[in-house]
Amino acid sequence: MRESSLMRLQYVTAVAAIVLVSLHLLMQGVLVPYGEAVSFQRVLSVYRSAVDAALLEVLLLVVLAHGFNGLRIILLEWRQEAAWTRGVNWGVLVVTLALMGYGTRTVILAATGQVT
Amino acid sequence: MADKAAANRRGVAGWLDPLHFNIERWAYVFQRVTGLAVLAYVVGHIGDTSFFVGGPFGEGPSSSSWAADLGVTENVLGHLVLVMVVLVVVYHGINGARLILAEYGLIFAKPSRPEYPYRAKSLRTVQRHLIWVAIVVAILAALYSGGLMMG
Amino acid sequence: MEVSLRVKRFDPSVDVAPHYERYDVPSREGMTVLDALIYVKDRLDHGLAVRFSCRMASCGSCGMKVNGKPRLACETQLGDLGPGAATVEPMDNFPVVRDLVVDLESFFSRHTSLSPRLLRKRDEAEQESPSGEYLMFPAELESMVQFTYCIKCGLCSSSCPTASTDGSFPGPQALAQAYRYLADPRDEGGKERVEAVDTAHGVWRCHFAGTCSAVCPKGVDPALGIQLLKRHVMAATSPLSRKKGEKTGAEVFKNPNAGLVG
Repeated sequence: MRESSLMRLQYVTAVAAIVLVSLHLLMQGVLVPYGEAVSFQRVLSVYRSAVDAALLEVLLLVVLAHGFNGLRIILLEWRQEAAWTRGVNWGVLVVTLALMGYGTRTVILAATGQVT
Repeated sequence: MADKAAANRRGVAGWLDPLHFNIERWAYVFQRVTGLAVLAYVVGHIGDTSFFVGGPFGEGPSSSSWAADLGVTENVLGHLVLVMVVLVVVYHGINGARLILAEYGLIFAKPSRPEYPYRAKSLRTVQRHLIWVAIVVAILAALYSGGLMMG
Repeated sequence: MEVSLRVKRFDPSVDVAPHYERYDVPSREGMTVLDALIYVKDRLDHGLAVRFSCRMASCGSCGMKVNGKPRLACETQLGDLGPGAATVEPMDNFPVVRDLVVDLESFFSRHTSLSPRLLRKRDEAEQESPSGEYLMFPAELESMVQFTYCIKCGLCSSSCPTASTDGSFPGPQALAQAYRYLADPRDEGGKERVEAVDTAHGVWRCHFAGTCSAVCPKGVDPALGIQLLKRHVMAATSPLSRKKGEKTGAEVFKNPNAGLVG
């Protein structure tokens, strides 16, 4: 895969992150007062709204893709041995997918799970 | 030791040392450092928000698990951490937007013949002002969010 | 009047580690760091190794660090340096041969690896035996002439943060010259040039720290060339473009200065 394709991903996720993170910060303290924003009922209603939950999910994917690609770039700039390069490329991909999976699990369970 | 000195590579210190250099170099150092800081926070945040559904072994939204989580994060130290996060996120985002514009060649002057004293034109246009915008807006956002959280 | 130089001395073949030597040099107004170093070598310490030639910022030989800043010694006035001893060290990120002389082999090989010459592809005979002059409009010349003024002093590649750790990175000089040829309307090697820099350690490992342009003694502004190169690579590799990488620099944008503010 050409590096320019990965950079295109980096730029696209960057722009998406600027929008979604700004929205997330505004929702968590400006449009909704902070104390209320982190209350159980409020958080539950956010996850139970299809649009809001979808936005959170996209935010998760975008920020993880952008952040871990950035970490990959930093690590590959640090050392260039073949084994290190292979290890970093695979390791970062695995960790990114694992965290995406774990975060998505939170979103799905919050959106559909039994409340206790 | 002689080999390392002979090789004369600065190593990671070369990334982190902006002394004697232009402000864009400072912006680069902070972009790298804030990026890693935000990534670390995001990983922790994915962990802590999972306690809304009871953590790794939970099955659904649990008010008791969430209350326990808020018990850990809702205090002065937790709020200070969030203020720092807002500071680094806003800086990283605005400086990042400047980088996107620069790396698309959109906020520079046209190439033209160098004139004495040969100062680089790319370092003198609006892109330099955007660095200050990033710093100032980040500080303002952090102060504002601090005010919101601490009442 | 005297000035003091604090020069980093190191002979890797005999020394375990570098050390600094202090030299007191009689000074006069207008004296440059190079003048002082030549005095040291001539009268105080014949063993000091220093590279220089034209003494007028044209050859690019005397690049070094003066008080931590990458400069050409021949155009650094002692009077501009402030009080106290001036610290003189070799350029960073190149192997030290001895004292202030560094090995520029990797610098030149990274430059040649990006084909710094006009490539004619449509008619192979033209590459070796051009049938005539290739012309440029003045506007086309203005869009890339500043990058032709590079004197290959190495200060940019030495001060680049990526060069501190990444030996595979071509460096600002090589990448700016890659753009110089890409933007040259007489060049037909666009596709190869894009492929050569679109690699894991190519143009994308530049993060626009801008130090290359800040230290360039000739106003070449390699950072500008590299960001324009990124723009071109993005356009040439875009999934939306129909003909990828086949265009010359001037053809990708009908006006090579499109979108640039005056």
